[in-house]
Order: sequence, then C-alpha cells, then structure tokens
Amino acid sequence: MHGTITSTVTTPRAVAVSSAMLLVAPEAVRAGFPSPAQDYYDGPVDLMAQLIDDELTTFIVRVVGDSMLDAGIADGDELLVDTSKHPQPGDVVIAKIDGEFTIKRLDVTKHGVILRAESAGHTDIVVPELSELSIFGVATYCIHHLRRRQRQRLHSQ
Amino acid sequence: MIAHVDVNSAYASFERVFRPDLENVPLVVLSNNDGMVVAASKEAKAMGLDLGKPWFELRPQAARLGVRAVSSNYELYGDMSRRTMGILERFTHDLDVYSIDEAFLAVSRRVAGDPDAMTALGREIRDTLRRLLGIPVCVGIAPTRTLAKLANKTAKKLAAFDGVCVWPACREDWRQSLMQRLPVSEVWGIASRLERRLAALGINTVWDLAVADPVMIRKHFNVVVMRTALELRGVVAISAEEDRTGKKDQLIISRSFSEKVTTREGIRQALSIYAQQAATRLMRHKQVAKTVHAFAGTSHWTEQKSYPSVIVKLPFPTADPVELTRAAHELLPRIENGARYARAGIMLVDLAPAGSATPFDLFSHAHEDAGIAMIVDQVQKKAGKEILGLGYGGFRPGPSWQMKRNMLTQRATTHWDELVTAKV
Repeated sequence: MHGTITSTVTTPRAVAVSSAMLLVAPEAVRAGFPSPAQDYYDGPVDLMAQLIDDELTTFIVRVVGDSMLDAGIADGDELLVDTSKHPQPGDVVIAKIDGEFTIKRLDVTKHGVILRAESAGHTDIVVPELSELSIFGVATYCIHHLRRRQRQRLHSQ
Repeated sequence: MIAHVDVNSAYASFERVFRPDLENVPLVVLSNNDGMVVAASKEAKAMGLDLGKPWFELRPQAARLGVRAVSSNYELYGDMSRRTMGILERFTHDLDVYSIDEAFLAVSRRVAGDPDAMTALGREIRDTLRRLLGIPVCVGIAPTRTLAKLANKTAKKLAAFDGVCVWPACREDWRQSLMQRLPVSEVWGIASRLERRLAALGINTVWDLAVADPVMIRKHFNVVVMRTALELRGVVAISAEEDRTGKKDQLIISRSFSEKVTTREGIRQALSIYAQQAATRLMRHKQVAKTVHAFAGTSHWTEQKSYPSVIVKLPFPTADPVELTRAAHELLPRIENGARYARAGIMLVDLAPAGSATPFDLFSHAHEDAGIAMIVDQVQKKAGKEILGLGYGGFRPGPSWQMKRNMLTQRATTHWDELVTAKV
C-alpha cells in the first residue's frame, strides 16, 4: 500500500489497482539530531482509508458536462462512486438512463422519482415508474480540480 | 459442502458493467488481434454465434443482425474478477479461485446441514454480486467439486432454478433422471475425446459413469477418471490443487495459506513458487504471457484488512520464470506490515502461443544484464515506454505481436485516463 497519486497521465509499469496514498512527509530529519517527532510518526495519511469504505465496490467516474455545477461537480472532475450504498433521496447518484450513465441528485416525490439537475438551464429527468430506474451507485466524494492545466491534458487524450 | 460460483458469459458481463448500451443486445468479445470470438453473451449464443468463429466472417452481417463486438479488454476483466473474488471471499473461510470467472467456496458446517440455508446462501451470493457489481452469476452447491459444477450447469440451463441449484435439496429420483439424460461429456474433466472410449464400455450418460465400477474405470482409463466417477457418487476425491480448467487464455495459481503469512518475505516466497509453477505450466502448453496480475489478501474478518494487487505488463511475451517472478514481486511494496495474509496468487491472462512472438529470444535473457535493464526501466518510467528500449525490443512494439484492439472498451478501473465517464 505505498502507491502515490501522480498527476501525469503516462502509464506506469505497475498499475496500482487497490491503493492510493497521499504522502504527507514527516518532519525532515536535520543532520546530526534525529527528530523527536519520528517516534510519533505512524506512516502517511491513507487517502484510501479516509475516502473509501469498500474498495471492492468503489469506482471512479469522470464527469462530462455541467448540469451539476451548483452541487460543486464540474466538467472533468472525478467522482468516487460506491455501489454498496443504498441510494437515499438527496444523494447524488449515477443512474442508467437510455443506455447511458448520468449523474443527478435523487429526489422522490408523490409523482415519482425525479433526477434533478443542479445548474441553471438544465432540466430534470422524471422517472414515472420506479422499475424503470436503474442506479449504478451513489457518489460519495468529488475530486474537484482547482487547476486547469491537468484537465486540459486529460481532455486532449 | 462446496459451492461453485461461475460468472455468466463472463467477458460479456464484465464489459456491460460500464456500458449500459451493451445490455440486452447480442455482444461478442474478440480475441487478440480481433481475430475470433472468444466470448458471447447469451443473446449472441441464442443467435448461434459460437466461440471460435472468425470475426471477418461475421463482420459483414453484424450490423444487420444488431450484433455488437468489442476487443478483449483483459485489464478490465482482471480487475472485475478481482472484485468478484474479493466479494465471494466474504461468504466463506476458504475460497479457491479456479479461473478468472469461477471459484469454489467451502460452505460452513452450520449451513451445510440445512438445504434451505444452502439455498439462501446461494441466493445471497447471486443477489449480492448482481447488486454490488452488476455481475450475473450462477451457483451450484453439492458435496463434491464435480457435483457442484454439475449443479451449477443445471442452474444455468434450467430456468426454474433461477440461477441457484442446491444438489442435496433436489429429490433423489429427479437427480437420477437428470444424470441419466445428460451425456457423460457434461461432467467436469471428462474430455469429449474420452467419450468414444467410455461408450465402448457402455458408459454414455453421467449416471452410467456414476454407477460404474471404479476399479474397472481405473483399469481402462486412469486414476483421474476414477476420481471423477467417485465424486459423482458424492465421495470427495478432487482437491483444490488440481488444474482442470482446460482454458487456453488464462492461468491462475492462487492458494489459501494453511497458516497466515505476516511478512513480506513470506509473500515473496509464495509468489516465487507460484510464478515458477506458472512458468512450468506455460511451457507445457507452449504458451507465453503478456500480463501478470499478482495479488494477496487478508481474511475479510480480520481487523487490518489488506488486498494489495498489481497488474504488470511484461516488456515482452514470455514464459521465463525469472521474468514472471520479477513481475509478481512488484506486489511486495504493497504488502502491509502487520497484516495477516490468508492467501496470495498470480493470474496470467492474455496468453499467446509461444513462437507467435518471434524476436524475443534475443532479449529473453535481458534480466541477466540487470544494470542496463534497470536504467531502461527508469527511463521508461520517466519518459514513457516508447522512448528507450533494447534493440528490436525498444521503441514501438513490432507489428507481429502488437495486439490489434480496434474495438477496445475503456480500461475503466485500472487506467486513470480511461475512467468511465458519465454525463451530468
């Protein structure tokens, strides 16, 4: 479990399937004196453990489009999607509609299920019959990109 | 009691997880170089699209028939298989991963005595995999591996079972009449070439083999066929170690440890042994591997859970034990201190016949020149694979063995730049 999150898109020789770790460096050791902090160092923060409840049922989905901007989900972001979570009203879900995945906020009303867009100018999807709704998983975290450079590189693929 | 779990039309089902548009349509998966059909969905099978059919024959009619085709995406299958097996592990204390899409599970003694509990277990396994991964499986539960396989086949063929067949829960006279109807070649490990010789002895159906005199069977065939006959009577005679997959495109060596392994050294040793076994098997079948998938896992019930896994692309297709061992050892940095590992294994997928990869004998001893290999490796890691290489092995892979995968789906779970996308 000592993979690192790399920001490049070159393919490494070994692909880490199960683990990603954020390296938080311990206090740098100064020449001559061992740092007293070393005794308290327990290893880096494990992003996997913090963000993922069940690695086997968690998938990463890349966002295309801008109908969820007000939910903080932008074009090019990545979502962690857990298929083991039971979808609740209010959850952001990945649903299968007409042979495609779509990301929307799940709302349950008297008139049926509504998959709500959260961005001006985008319409909701009304699902009259519950049986017609197939949900792939519940989004648990969004990796929102705060710098443009990397996204452009990904899009140019 | 043993449960046998098998993914329905595995490659097609793995493809559909991230491709809702491929659901309910006839789907075929093509071999390396898009040459032949290696897997077909049940819709495609119903249209008579059989495995081994050359794609160039099918292609002209594919559009008219509504048949969709994809290139084999072994990275995706390997990862979905890993997830499937990891979830199966939660249902048993002893999981024997038998191939990329099937496994045997030991059924706990408490459940094994109760046919209703076994049926409930089978249903739960099936429903869980469907719900969590979107993967359809069938389950067969029986006293022996051979019967569990037969029960699974029954579950798959007869819709009334709804995917779960518990052998002891079926009436005895019904089981007998089923075995009397099935040809003996339906039995696990009975190759069709044995059929004629068996027929000469009056053994035509599964039932005939089950009631045949084991000593006579041993005399005419071998101990393997005799053990199969015994297993059909419910006598356990076949253990986890035997390879009877007969599958040509994959190879798995995975074992539960008798004692938990807690050190990196222990895992290193296990992986070395498995890699060498794999190399031996490859050489016996005159095959080479292009991808090594190494993994280990703690029990699901332990406190410090760890399921490290790596997929290593080999620099060239090989059956060299040194290369395979080195690739498998790339798992080691991911082994966690203090974790108690219950099993480890390696899986080779994407196998090719040896000799189809001509230029490699030149480089097969590249590992001996470790200094150069390391430099090449480091440069490649930094600057990309195509930037530097040894002789013919460098630069772009040669046309003779570079896979043509024109219809490759996204390697959605193993490659950052190929993640599945969803529209918002």
